[in-house]
Amino acid sequence: MSELREVISTGNELSAIAAVDAGCTFFGGYPLTPSSEIMHVCSDLLPKVGGASIQMEDEIAGICCVIGASMSGVRALTATSGPGVSLKAENLGLAQMAEVPMVLVNVMRGGPSTGLPTRVSQGDIKQASNPSHGDYRSITLCAGNLAECYTEVVRAFNLADRFMQPVIVLTDETLGHMHGKAMLPTQEDVAAGIVLRKKFEGAPEDYRPYECGPTEPAVLNPMFEGYRYHFTGLHHDAMGFPTEEIETCRKLIQRLEDKVMAHQDEIELNEEFMMDDLNGEEGEVLIIAYGSVSLAAKEAIRHLRADGIKAGLFRPITIWPSPAKRIKEVTSVTKNVLCVELNIRQYTEEIERASGRLDLEGLYKVNGRAISPYEIVEKVKEVF
Amino acid sequence: MAKTLMRFTGVGGQGVLLAGEIFAAAKIKTGGFGLKTATYTSQVRGGPTVVDIQLDDKEIYYPYANDGEVNFMLSVADVSYQSFKNGVKLGGTIVVEPNLVHPTEEDRKKWNIVEIPIITIAKEEVGNVITQSVVALAIANTFMDAIDKETLINTMLSKVPAKVHAINLTAYELGEKYAKEAMK
Repeated sequence: MSELREVISTGNELSAIAAVDAGCTFFGGYPLTPSSEIMHVCSDLLPKVGGASIQMEDEIAGICCVIGASMSGVRALTATSGPGVSLKAENLGLAQMAEVPMVLVNVMRGGPSTGLPTRVSQGDIKQASNPSHGDYRSITLCAGNLAECYTEVVRAFNLADRFMQPVIVLTDETLGHMHGKAMLPTQEDVAAGIVLRKKFEGAPEDYRPYECGPTEPAVLNPMFEGYRYHFTGLHHDAMGFPTEEIETCRKLIQRLEDKVMAHQDEIELNEEFMMDDLNGEEGEVLIIAYGSVSLAAKEAIRHLRADGIKAGLFRPITIWPSPAKRIKEVTSVTKNVLCVELNIRQYTEEIERASGRLDLEGLYKVNGRAISPYEIVEKVKEVF
Repeated sequence: MAKTLMRFTGVGGQGVLLAGEIFAAAKIKTGGFGLKTATYTSQVRGGPTVVDIQLDDKEIYYPYANDGEVNFMLSVADVSYQSFKNGVKLGGTIVVEPNLVHPTEEDRKKWNIVEIPIITIAKEEVGNVITQSVVALAIANTFMDAIDKETLINTMLSKVPAKVHAINLTAYELGEKYAKEAMK
């Protein structure tokens, strides 16, 4: 592994710094607790690198100008919390349909509606999988520590350009505001890892942005460079013009599904913490958690192991599409599985689907307070 | 060093956050791990605020202090004192601003309650109420002996504008002086 650098910061600041390091030059959005610091830092940093950051009149305008910036060829970011994602949903759908890359950071807080603005939650897990109507595959990454508030935003920009669609990064109030040490890749390493979206280099008259292989994304050249196409949320043909032609419509939506699902190996990322010695013995416990809850889970595992209970953590970092195969494998080894979430079973239902098991135990909390390591330890001792 | 858990409480806008950031950064500079988390309400100005500071030599995962484990608490507002005092270990030290925080007799049996007029010191002796977070920083470090004084002061100075370095140094020395007197 190459060299890492030590940075002392908060999750929100790190998410903004990551965007700049990943080559993002545009931020558009509207301040929403607990995500506002991302906008503040972007407003400070982006003008210094020749970029721009704009506070729009509302959440909807915030994502619309990001779509516009991205269509002009730049990497663009918006940040908000759950209520803002609700407002942005229609335009997330537009960006899915028209295949416009962008990154949205959702610093989760209590919901539904305006909920608990300053409190932590993981209530937006299901929302992230389908924020807008229709068929498409959301790519959603979930940071589980300070360093990942940075690295997952960097990864999101590369995935957005690779798959030509919005990529959501979920963090939460705890991660966004906690202040501590993060070991990050160097700016040079991040820059070296940037893979920008494909560009059509042929003659402008031969350009067909939406004519691509069945598992490949559209190739959208920047606007105003002589490569013309039509931009719409309607079903569209190779040039982007609306069509109701049966096969064209079917192929388009099937391709939105397949461009992601056929390349899941490029997207999936998990952490397996202290799982090496879990081999199916009686009394072993597998905890499945993600985001800031995994921090409590790791601390709980330290305590459980000190008490002689073999416990490990499976943590999906890419939560959508879910690592279904790996979930199936890890839940086949260990009998006692505990899902821990700051919501009511939002991801547990996906784990049940993937594992084919309905006997998973769960620990859930929806009062805006974090789940403590001791609550996890107690739950493990109570149910297994 | 064993894990140190400190909790600063006040109301939004009093500036209790800064001391937490300074402690965490100073601990990290010495090669250890430091984490600061703040909890506040929607009522940003005037709502109860709590800052948890964890300092450890090994990696800290969970960022909040577990209730009952806090070694030291400092409080400059009664509403937050009442809300968060129970996080402090029995026998632990709680420094309160006596003009604003009113511990019960029961509390005085449970914890080592120390009265230091933090805000008055900042306002009248240092001459700027904003320096109360540095007075608090000095008091906490004197009681807990958490970080080498020079490292802590240098970290503090790196986080405040140069034009207020002198008054913040004064604030630190006064905080330390009052803490030492209270410890006698």
